[in-house]
Amino acid sequence: MTSVTASQEVHRTPLQRGLRQMLRRKVVVFSLFVLALYVLVALAGIFNLLPDYQERIGTGYSPPTTERLALILGTDVFGRSVLYKILAGTETAMLIGAMVPLIAVPIGVALGAIAGYYGGKIDALIVWLFSVISSLPYILIVLAISFVLGKGLIAICVAMGLVGWVGLCRLVRAELIKHREREYVLSSRLLGASDAALIFKHILPNVVHVAIITASLQVLGAIKSEVILTYLGVGIQDGASWGTMISDAAGELVQSIWWPLAGVVLAMFFVIYALNVLGDALRDALDPKLLDR
Amino acid sequence: MLAYAVRRVLYTIPVLLGVAALVFLLFHSVGEDPVRVALGTHATPESIAELRAQWGLDKPLALQFVDFLGQIVTFDYGESYNSGEQLSAMFAQGAAVSLWLTVPPFLIGLVINLVFGLLVAYYRGTWFDRLSTGVLIMTMSISYLVYIIGFQYFFAYRLELFPINGYEHGLAGVKYLLLPWIIILTVTAGEDVRMYRTMFLDETQADYVRTARAKGVGEPGVLLGHVLQNALIPIVTYTMVAVPFLVMGAFLMERYFSLPGVGDLMITAINNGDFPVLKGLTMVIAIAYSAMVLLTDLVYAWVDPRVSLR
Amino acid sequence: MRFITLALLVFAVACGGGSDKPKSGETAAPAKKVFNYVRTSAHKSLDPVKQFDAASAELINNVYDSLLEYHYLKRPYALAPNLLTKLPELSADGLTYSFELRSDVKFIDDPCFPGGKGRALTTDDVIYSLKRFAHGQLNVKSYVLMQGSVAGMDEYRAETLKGGDFTKLDISGIKKIDDTHFTITLTKRNPLALLPLAATQTAIVPREAVEHYKDDFERHTVGTGPFKLKDLQRRGVTILEKNPNYHLTYPTEGQPEDEAKGLLAAKGQKLPFVDEVHLPLIEEPQPAMLKFLSGGMDWIGIDRDNFVKMAFKDDKGFHLQPEYAGKFDIYAEPRLSTEYWVFNMKDPLIGKNKALRKAIAYALDSAAFVTKMRNGRGVAVSTIVPPPIAGSENDVKVEWYRNNLEEAKKLLAEAGFPGGKGLPELTVEIRSSTTQSRQDFEFNRAELAKAGIIIKPSFQTFSAYLQRVESGNFQIAISGWQADYPDAENFYQLLYGPNKAPGPNSSSWANAEYDRLFDQARFMDNGPERYALFAKMHEIIREDVPVIFVWSDIAVGLHQKWVRNFKRNMMIDVPFKYFDVDTKLRAQGVPGAK
Repeated sequence: MTSVTASQEVHRTPLQRGLRQMLRRKVVVFSLFVLALYVLVALAGIFNLLPDYQERIGTGYSPPTTERLALILGTDVFGRSVLYKILAGTETAMLIGAMVPLIAVPIGVALGAIAGYYGGKIDALIVWLFSVISSLPYILIVLAISFVLGKGLIAICVAMGLVGWVGLCRLVRAELIKHREREYVLSSRLLGASDAALIFKHILPNVVHVAIITASLQVLGAIKSEVILTYLGVGIQDGASWGTMISDAAGELVQSIWWPLAGVVLAMFFVIYALNVLGDALRDALDPKLLDR
Repeated sequence: MLAYAVRRVLYTIPVLLGVAALVFLLFHSVGEDPVRVALGTHATPESIAELRAQWGLDKPLALQFVDFLGQIVTFDYGESYNSGEQLSAMFAQGAAVSLWLTVPPFLIGLVINLVFGLLVAYYRGTWFDRLSTGVLIMTMSISYLVYIIGFQYFFAYRLELFPINGYEHGLAGVKYLLLPWIIILTVTAGEDVRMYRTMFLDETQADYVRTARAKGVGEPGVLLGHVLQNALIPIVTYTMVAVPFLVMGAFLMERYFSLPGVGDLMITAINNGDFPVLKGLTMVIAIAYSAMVLLTDLVYAWVDPRVSLR
Repeated sequence: MRFITLALLVFAVACGGGSDKPKSGETAAPAKKVFNYVRTSAHKSLDPVKQFDAASAELINNVYDSLLEYHYLKRPYALAPNLLTKLPELSADGLTYSFELRSDVKFIDDPCFPGGKGRALTTDDVIYSLKRFAHGQLNVKSYVLMQGSVAGMDEYRAETLKGGDFTKLDISGIKKIDDTHFTITLTKRNPLALLPLAATQTAIVPREAVEHYKDDFERHTVGTGPFKLKDLQRRGVTILEKNPNYHLTYPTEGQPEDEAKGLLAAKGQKLPFVDEVHLPLIEEPQPAMLKFLSGGMDWIGIDRDNFVKMAFKDDKGFHLQPEYAGKFDIYAEPRLSTEYWVFNMKDPLIGKNKALRKAIAYALDSAAFVTKMRNGRGVAVSTIVPPPIAGSENDVKVEWYRNNLEEAKKLLAEAGFPGGKGLPELTVEIRSSTTQSRQDFEFNRAELAKAGIIIKPSFQTFSAYLQRVESGNFQIAISGWQADYPDAENFYQLLYGPNKAPGPNSSSWANAEYDRLFDQARFMDNGPERYALFAKMHEIIREDVPVIFVWSDIAVGLHQKWVRNFKRNMMIDVPFKYFDVDTKLRAQGVPGAK
């Protein structure tokens, strides 16, 4: 048993304490592992290290066998490996999962911070903007923007990003409003600190946890939305994606061909489950209210 | 209070204007060309021009937008390009179906999920909490589309427990809605229960709860007496704001189960570039949403006077 | 009324259905003979001159009649009189047709008529309906079917654009003789002139209904057809109900094999046989098939996924798998349509490089495509004319490109891109983005890749596709054409120079010799002389390759064993009036039901 000196204890922030506690749960570690695996596959795809899913390796619609690793989930209508298609789809899904928050979070935080901090006309404008966007059904706007942008992977990512910043913006704005009246802000200003410095160094760190949690929710939301958008015809057109595989599944089920659907459902299930667990754990770990335990 | 109410109502106007502009731009200038859809392979330049003129699509965009604003104010969105039907009639019929599809599971789900959320919050940290959360997360990890395809295949086709698809008006329609209701409940349970759980837990950390506990009030008393009441405000906000979107139906469900609702109407309209339908329905939903938000804010202000002083 | 829109939201929930009457569906009391089919999309308009889509035609064909129709049983498809006593007679100079109307045709009872009683159909109704058809503002969609064909009609159309009461204007080529006789004079000798008179768009409507219902006429039908609209639901179940006073009877003759199949058992009997037709809207194929399998539907077309599960093809034709053979009957009928790849002759790369186009033609494998992607439900074609139409490869000796990888590679090198080196990706426009089109593309992509040709897909919605093609904004497009009428002219015109984009000649190909031959052949009667011209025209196409003919579809489907008089007819898409149902057999359900 090692003893920890008093000075070491004190220097650990609530944030770090929360994170350590989070990592002690087996489920969380498992989820991290799953996520890392998927990211690895995606990276392999980006660097062209994945096997070519277009290759016809067997007869059409052959059921799963244990003969070859490639055939472990069977083949599709053309005799392509379902496993390889899922791997290629993983790359697509991870890309979407990465791109959407990368667009939505910066916009949400930036606009929320500006609105909350400066107030007045700028605030009114930004509030008006997100009120307008919230009034419309999500899927409709995303659909329409995707159409405008020409459909496909980039289009739906940008579309989801352009609509997804709203929730985060609201939260950040609320936090900014709360904080700007606080004493430490007022006194820092008296001491001559610039607006930017205040926002970045002092206030924003308080909203980081919100941003992280929102981001994690956005990732899985985006992955799930791709399925619907592809079904509606604006998503991934060529190439393998989980959405195209699910869209194709309905007809295949009637023929009792269950393995393409089973494969993609499993693949989606694990990563979304992992993201959910991580999102929950992060929320529990980072929420300042719960940290005062 | 009155001043606040007036301010809020006035504020809704620029928002709706913004929505109208967004809807107009998105659905009018881009996407499908309704004239081409209508004329198909037999279009000739003359017929295209003729139909454009009939539908007023040859007027400058600004003028068309003004026309649109006029339609919004009079609630007369005209006729569908696709079917020539009056939009109000189409919408009323479709809305009835969509609401039958979404409102019952919404209400039933509200009650079930609230109770479940309370239970999970009460037993937080125990195996019950962990198991439930685990199961709920699992249900959330499967795509909506997969549920529809899978449930329809297993429960309707293989096990023949429900009709495969179709719809009848009135009470006879309930049997067609049972499976869709089950699917909606399954899909939304996870998110809702966890949301309620969070809200309850947030409340339980509040000072007044600690006070109550210190006073010796038992846990159930704390939950039901204090937490539930206070958590109700964010919960009500969360649910009320979702109501206007119920009328959109669940378009995937409507597609697969052949339910003639608003969601399906929208998808068909998108595929056909049916501007009147798209603009009209979207505006109605947006107006309903703004009305709901307004109502919620006003109720808030009435309940908590501090809000209106800001 | 309009302001109530929002309030209806709440109101509708309470009433659970608002204006719709509760329906009893299958619980009808005395054994009503019902035929159950499906609509896969909602109709656009039930006014004959305001529609040009299959969903609308499905309904119009059964509540209205045109002067002529296609014979149900005879092949090749031939015209038969519907509202007429006999086929029109042609004058000696070949320019004027004389028509004689039947005297036993009545419009159904409807409030628009005095006393609510339907009246007999007369020449005035015919002329009124044709005037509506030719009206510049009423009919923007389908006038092209009769353009330039009848004397004075184009001039009349121009006049109507000025507004005013069109009933006061006259079409000089249409003359009334009396209530049951009239003549139509053509602008030139044209054996195809009668064909549009069998089209849905020239169906005869009563003036009283149009004037009484005005805008609602598109939803409220008053016709002479075998059925009337009992309940029109765009998104629910549309119900057709028998017209007890229908004037036609079941055909008395057909093809030699029809007698043995029982298709002449009902000869001479009064139509229609069923009391009601139920048409629910089911847009997705899977739920529709599930309904058929459980006996809730009497007829269904079969798509690829279901075909693989339930049927197979051998050299004797299409058959059901053993477990289904006892339960349903299968049919197969060639469609009157062709699928072909269009090269944009204006494209700098494709349009100028004949060897490249030939290379692509050799690299495609139409036969394998039909077998693999359509389970053999089609034929690879060698001409643009679908096989069942006179003048197709069944009548004219032609040659076309067959899959040949070696030739493809050779020509690719000739084109300046040996092994595909230096050849940029070619973009192919595809007119839908369904699972099927995606998989079709994947198949073709793989075939062309073998030769070194890389193609990229551009999935469009149908109207966006039309826009690109009409504006000449594409490299390659996968196109298809369905016959407006069963004559080769309707297909050869797809390559006629003057029809270039935005017309149906999407490739904008123009060859003076071809055009000259086409002008000669188009109005000829079918026969060796005409076929000789077709052969020459085909040779020109083959040499220049502005298009690649790929395949023609075969419609395969199933019907329940209790359906009688079923013969798939490509010019009568939904011949409900001829169908009969053995109610006793149906009461037993699907044999060995699951």
